Amino acid sequence: MSDLTLKSIRKSYGAVEVIKGIDLEIAHGEFVVFVGPSGCGKSTLLRMIAGLEEITAGSLHIGNVLCNDVEPRDRGIAMVFQSYALYPHMTVYDNVGFGLKLAKAPKDGRDKKIRDAARILQMEHLLDRKPSQLSGGQRQRVAIGRAIVRQPEVFLFDEPLSNLDAALRVDMRMELSKLHQELGATMIYVTHDQVEAMTLADKIVVLNGGEVQQAGAPIELYQHPANLFVAGFIGSPKMNFLPVTVKGIEGDTIVVQADEIDDLRVSIPGATARPGDAMTLGIRPHALRTGADGPIKGTVDLVERLGNETIVNFRLGGGTQWLAVLDGDMPLHRGQTVGFTAPEGEPVLFDRDGRNIAIANPQAEKAA
Amino acid sequence: MTLVRRYGLTVAALIGAGFVFVVPFLFIVLTAVKDRTQAAQLDFTWPTSFPLWENFWTVISTRDFMLITAYINSTILTVGSITLLVILAAMVGYVRQRRKAWWNGLVDFLVLAGLMMPPAVVPTIWLLQQLGLFATLHGMIFIEVAYNISFCIILYRAFVATIPREMDEAAIIDGARPMDIFFRVILPMLKPVTITVIVVQSVAIFNDFVNPLYYLPGNDNVTVQLTLYNFQSQFNTSYNLLFMNILLVTIPPLIVFLFFNRQIVAGMTSGAVKG
Amino acid sequence: MTTTVSTPIAVPAKPRHRRRSSPYPTWFLLPAAIVYGILFLIPTFASLYFSLTRWTLFNSSFIGLDNFVAFFEEPFLIQGVVNTIIFALLTCALKVVFGLGLAVLLTSQIHARGLLRSVVFFPVLVSTVGVGIAFTAMMHPTDGIINAGLGLLGIKGPGWLTNPSLAIYSVAFVEVWRGVGLATVIFIAGIVSIPQDYYEAARIDGATGWERFVYITLPLSRPAMVTVVILSFIHGLRNFELVWAMTRGGPGFASDVLASVIYKQYQAGFYGLSTAGNVVLFVLIAAMAVPLYLYLNRKEGHQ
Repeated sequence: MSDLTLKSIRKSYGAVEVIKGIDLEIAHGEFVVFVGPSGCGKSTLLRMIAGLEEITAGSLHIGNVLCNDVEPRDRGIAMVFQSYALYPHMTVYDNVGFGLKLAKAPKDGRDKKIRDAARILQMEHLLDRKPSQLSGGQRQRVAIGRAIVRQPEVFLFDEPLSNLDAALRVDMRMELSKLHQELGATMIYVTHDQVEAMTLADKIVVLNGGEVQQAGAPIELYQHPANLFVAGFIGSPKMNFLPVTVKGIEGDTIVVQADEIDDLRVSIPGATARPGDAMTLGIRPHALRTGADGPIKGTVDLVERLGNETIVNFRLGGGTQWLAVLDGDMPLHRGQTVGFTAPEGEPVLFDRDGRNIAIANPQAEKAA
Repeated sequence: MTLVRRYGLTVAALIGAGFVFVVPFLFIVLTAVKDRTQAAQLDFTWPTSFPLWENFWTVISTRDFMLITAYINSTILTVGSITLLVILAAMVGYVRQRRKAWWNGLVDFLVLAGLMMPPAVVPTIWLLQQLGLFATLHGMIFIEVAYNISFCIILYRAFVATIPREMDEAAIIDGARPMDIFFRVILPMLKPVTITVIVVQSVAIFNDFVNPLYYLPGNDNVTVQLTLYNFQSQFNTSYNLLFMNILLVTIPPLIVFLFFNRQIVAGMTSGAVKG
Repeated sequence: MTTTVSTPIAVPAKPRHRRRSSPYPTWFLLPAAIVYGILFLIPTFASLYFSLTRWTLFNSSFIGLDNFVAFFEEPFLIQGVVNTIIFALLTCALKVVFGLGLAVLLTSQIHARGLLRSVVFFPVLVSTVGVGIAFTAMMHPTDGIINAGLGLLGIKGPGWLTNPSLAIYSVAFVEVWRGVGLATVIFIAGIVSIPQDYYEAARIDGATGWERFVYITLPLSRPAMVTVVILSFIHGLRNFELVWAMTRGGPGFASDVLASVIYKQYQAGFYGLSTAGNVVLFVLIAAMAVPLYLYLNRKEGHQ
């Protein structure tokens, strides 16, 4: 089997450390997405797995083989690049078959593999063309085809959809999903787009500042973000935040207070908090409901009525900008004061270090 | 700009350019097809007789068809030098652009030195003699490579910078070894700049006079530019033949110019925009 | 730039066994380095020694700086150095002036621009020796078409190449004729890369054609200017072919330049003196071209 194991992987350029010790287990056949803002190290990490970057410290095992010093061609991987990197002087056929040719595969076997890949990707009619004669989506297919013929254990994707327009991106996303099911190979996919991450991944790895912030199933990350960063990064629109102080504790319910809102009750079973603790309150825009006497009062700045839902931009008493996404059509207008409530189970609290207090030890999450 | 001024300027420019740049060429062509006595007058007149073929044949056959030998030699010299230049310069330009290393500064310095500094001729002759390369065509080929490689490296390096590194990486993932990456992926992609290098350098090497003068003495290895020099004394009084020779020597660059005007200008002006 | 010396980052615990080979192997430089090193670098360094010797190619005797002393005592050698500098400065200046003028003309809204550009550029590609021979004929003091043309205007033309005080200037004039096309196309490339918006903005601001040239074209085609100045200056210092084809350095030594002196001393068998001439040329280029290069490239960002 070809499980992939990263143990305390580090990468530094001179004195600058860009990957600060990453431990990760990727099971065979998993679709893993590395997501994070630009500069978080996600591409570097992928390139280290590919063998395009040296690993400064730590170990990378593919299957049971230590791969730190193995040449990329011997790692059993294939990669799809952001710019596709098709060889412009070769036809699609030769582009797809280049790796096989280099490996000195016999001609008939080569031909069969190229045609199989073309069939899977429905691009048999494109085989004689040059890359310059293809559309963006077709180039994308060729790039994937080039990866497929290598029959790799692990597919690596470096932001492969970011050069496509929005509609095509949705199509290709579905095709990639289908391809994953068909081939059953491990796929590691890098993106900065959290929607892509949510829709494609079996497991999302959120990276920031060269460290894993949280790894887990998409819904897990959405519902139980380990820290402020993950909470802010996963989910669209972004989660609303506000600094609060713990006023009191009633069993599993923590009462928090702040100048900008009335006291709010948050139900977090098993959490430890003491009155007076400074925390950050997080509420997803979708969790807010209108309620005239709700604890959250705001002045409406902007209303976007989409028919099935209404997005309300509003200002709290102290000027903090929040967002609410309400079901159905709400005929609110600018300048209006609206009250909001949130079900007790919905809000999240983060401690002084930004950790979600509902999750005692965020490190435990990584093993998932 | 008003239409009148525009036409006026055009006419003035055409007349000026005609006088300054076209008349000398017409003079060469006219003199080349005159007979000997009329040519000796060195005036700008229409030929009274057209011994075109006669002049041509005399020039060609002089000194046992030296001009033919010279054409063959110049062709070998040009083709050989350019083949080496393209491959060697592309390799250097590619690695210099791609790789971060301590020797980058040294390479840049040597390239600049090769571009600006004149060669030390007598020590070079001395060295060529030691190596058994003096007065040989292959020695001359290496000389042309050494003297012209700086310019080619600069062109290649600038062009490699426009090829995304992902191309190399895609090839690496595909299992290409360094030689495969360079010869099967990068070199084909360098085609536009290779054409420029071939065109510009073939004109330069074909027209080179000084270096063959020093390093290729003797009649066996004569190049076309040297025939002009050799015939200058022989055709002392036969301007028609001398000018026919100039005409024949000018034809190859003229052909190149007609077909590759754009590449020549692109190659020679590279750096004008970026500095 | 922060160059922190002490790095708090943990050094990799395990020693690494071996580096994977780079996809950009250093040996790719080797073939070029061998050819360049043997045929260009070694002779250049050797010249530093041989210029201090009396040398017959088979044996050399060290004579200190005698060769260089000769260069600054023998009148015909001094003449060569002075002529080289005059030739370089003059051709460089004229190529800049005419090249820029032609470039402005050939980027303006006139007809037949392509044809005119080709006509101006073509002499660059013609054999320099051929150009030299042709102009020698045209500059013939009595029969040449230049003086014949002047005669039609009632002017008695001088002996362009036979008058010792005029010969080097005549050759310089032919060099400008031959090389101005290259300067022109370089300036054209520089000028067409200037965004048209600047000209439109200036026009709206009411700038005249001359003002647009001085305040937009001139400063913004600076990279082209740098290229032209350096290229033609170095070319001028190294010039040999035209001088040799037209005057052989004559009359007497009146139009000798360093490159022709080097060749003459080589032919005469004074190899040490010839090589000293080469070193003088190195020094001249280093002393004039390098500061020029640095000066013209100042304030321009690093690539």
